[in-house]
Amino acid sequence: MDIKKVYMGRSVEEVVRLLGEYENKAKVIAGGTDIVIALRNKVIEPELLIDISKVEELKGIKEDEEYITIGSITTFTEIVESEIFQSNLYGLHKACKMVGSPQIRNKGTIGGNIANGSPAADSVPPLMALDSIVTLLSIEGTREISLEDYYYDSIKENELLVNVKFKKPKDNQVLTFAKLGLRKALAISRLTLSSFIEFDDNIITSIRVASGALAKFPMREKEVEDYLLGKSLNEETIEGAIEALRNSMDERLKGRPTLPYKRIAISTILREILEEALVFEKGVKAW
Amino acid sequence: MVDISLTVNDRLYEISIDENMRLIDVLRDELGLIGTKEGCGEGECGACTVIMDGEIVNSCLVMGFQANGSNIVTIEGLKKDGKLHPVQRAYIEAGAVQCGFCIPGMVLATKALLDKNPNPSDEEIREGISGNLCRCTGYNKMLVATKKAMVYMKGE
Amino acid sequence: MKLNMVGKNIIRVDAEAKVTGEALYPQDIYLDNMVYGKTVRSTKPHAYIKVDIREAEKVDGVLKVFTYKDVPNKNEHGVVLKDHEVFASRKAIRVGEPIAFIVAETVRACEEAYRKIRIDYEELPAVFDPIEAMKEDAPKIHGDSNIIYHYKLRRGDIEEGKKKSKYIVENVYKSPMVEHAFLQPEAGLAYVEEDGTVVVVIATQYPHYDREEVAINLGLPEEKVKIINTNVGGAFGAREDITAQIHLALAAMVLKRPVKVIYSREESFLAHSKRHPMIMKYKTGADENGYLQYMEAEIIGDAGAHCSWAMNVLRKAGVHATGPYVIPHVKVDSYAVYTNNPFTGAMRGFGATQVPIAHEQQMDALAEKLGMNPIEFRMKNIFRKGSITATGQVLVDSVPLDRCIEAVDKSFKFSQLWKEGK
Repeated sequence: MDIKKVYMGRSVEEVVRLLGEYENKAKVIAGGTDIVIALRNKVIEPELLIDISKVEELKGIKEDEEYITIGSITTFTEIVESEIFQSNLYGLHKACKMVGSPQIRNKGTIGGNIANGSPAADSVPPLMALDSIVTLLSIEGTREISLEDYYYDSIKENELLVNVKFKKPKDNQVLTFAKLGLRKALAISRLTLSSFIEFDDNIITSIRVASGALAKFPMREKEVEDYLLGKSLNEETIEGAIEALRNSMDERLKGRPTLPYKRIAISTILREILEEALVFEKGVKAW
Repeated sequence: MVDISLTVNDRLYEISIDENMRLIDVLRDELGLIGTKEGCGEGECGACTVIMDGEIVNSCLVMGFQANGSNIVTIEGLKKDGKLHPVQRAYIEAGAVQCGFCIPGMVLATKALLDKNPNPSDEEIREGISGNLCRCTGYNKMLVATKKAMVYMKGE
Repeated sequence: MKLNMVGKNIIRVDAEAKVTGEALYPQDIYLDNMVYGKTVRSTKPHAYIKVDIREAEKVDGVLKVFTYKDVPNKNEHGVVLKDHEVFASRKAIRVGEPIAFIVAETVRACEEAYRKIRIDYEELPAVFDPIEAMKEDAPKIHGDSNIIYHYKLRRGDIEEGKKKSKYIVENVYKSPMVEHAFLQPEAGLAYVEEDGTVVVVIATQYPHYDREEVAINLGLPEEKVKIINTNVGGAFGAREDITAQIHLALAAMVLKRPVKVIYSREESFLAHSKRHPMIMKYKTGADENGYLQYMEAEIIGDAGAHCSWAMNVLRKAGVHATGPYVIPHVKVDSYAVYTNNPFTGAMRGFGATQVPIAHEQQMDALAEKLGMNPIEFRMKNIFRKGSITATGQVLVDSVPLDRCIEAVDKSFKFSQLWKEGK
């Protein structure tokens, strides 16, 4: 670490101005749970470090008529403790609850989970299944991008990730999540899946499925979506969905040593998210 | 160098620190609070756990200057007026202390858990200390200690 | 009889200091005028080395960079064989082997100097598989053979045992290398007292061995070396071999200033021993009534690049190879073998931990062949009072293994479930 100057950010405007001024010489720090390790290992070597952990405008979860907006420095603990994610948005609660350890969840932020760009970021698949939009701000202006597209056009050196938002779910929509780690706590995901499903009389009328750690970055699993759309969930269609996911993994992960393992592991994880959705649809809480 | 002010164990410090220092470096090297231990330096082991503004954090993953304006409790802050904190007493009595290197972080994680939730279930206790690794005990003694501490804290 | 301790809850003497954060480990000790050390380690498993420290010594704040040339007396140490070099001289034999020790006014200066150390590696063929390492044409780590030790256990007549065995199972078992991962990474300090005594403050399992080694390497009489053991933040066997002790003592003696070193977790992994991985080839036979008749085992332990306790560990593995079973005809050969892997040494169980993986699975496999409940099969063959072990020891005192197995069986409902076909 060879930081020459640090800045205790007070407002979004000020942080964005500094980023515009210093560009690649500056880095933003919020929870620090990833970046401090990167700094110590000299993976990144900024001259200026800007702390945004006390910028009020970036904090908290807001709800309006149409959207739920999560400020970028909202911690995993804050999401876990929020009432908003106790019902049909439980999938995000579950994902955030499975991040790292209590210490990591108290500091780690949702914005950091996205901006760090890890393929195994736990909160990203549920946010992607919700079709979230990421808001980035720079001296050039505001940029809104869907989380699905974000990984092809990710945060630039002069940008600040301000928030992530998604449409409020209807009563017949449910978000689910499941993770495979090597142990319960402090485990980096080997595999995560999330689904956001709308049911109408047993039939899936809309569906988005997103995966983590199955590609270079989290992504939508469109083959599974296409297969399940218009069907109801039962043993046969769950098996069919597993087969559909395996087929697309075979293509994508060809030659990877982890493929044979993940092909098997996927069945339990996909089954878990679909069965949770099914239980919700039947009117019983799975949690 | 950067000037920061922070409260540690009820005492206000106004100090000038190197920009590259982490909170653990500030506590140990600047303030001499060596009870906070570094076991891994990357947030995996929890030995460096301190309570920052009411919540446990890994002090190896917080930059020193980020602690500006914060209120921090380290293991040195638990014993008050010569009297051990109930969690400390319970850890001693339950035989939950062996090599001791995880203990400052473990005790603080237990205290923070009980401050938030005075009646945790076994599962909640295990979850509460899941960010703290111990290589000696196998964690069952911590469970026993936490239950003892629950009783002591209610008696106070 | 009145007992003072038995049956009472005794509070350990250091518990209060540990829960209050007052207990000192070496990293917690700060001395006036103290300087810092950093170890330079090999990044290659087997290579001739040439070290250039000139640029590193020019870095502002650097006091000296120590290499093998600075060790006043012998450059070798080790708990059994003196096959560790204090600093690798001609050849590095494993990744992580110490090559130099930088001492500077600040940690930052150490790090800058670290980047300026030039090591030319002339890489040699390396060997990582102990079976390969036993072959004549394998690359040699030390001397002209990689086989450090061969333990032989012979009892009865194997051919006789085979004849009596209706059921024979033959399998190979492999156990992995394991890291102790004690929570307190290695750290230490050294300083020189007024009368010239070199003091090393460290968390160690063997202060008396450490003293002997430091004295020999530094060419000092033992009474001029003092080892102060602090609180030890976990060890599990991994603090039996020397890590920073000699480096620190040497630097303090030469520079006449207190020197401190703290290893990172990564360096800690590189610096100390691991559990021996073992390859265990087993043949075990039983007669038609379910009584064990013979066992033949070959156990190969990977010692890595240094012997450490390899012979003791492989002897123990050999002695315990039968498990707690009466077997009339036994032949065991265990070997400790050098490779270019991380070195292995003491770890909880010390060789007795690996073999149960083999002998217990052999018991299950034999029980299956006999169509017998594995608990019943074990009860027929276990050590009891008066049994004679394969090494000829007569067990004259209490051997309550039957009670232990019965209690476990009852608690797990194993026999009951086995009867029900589960």
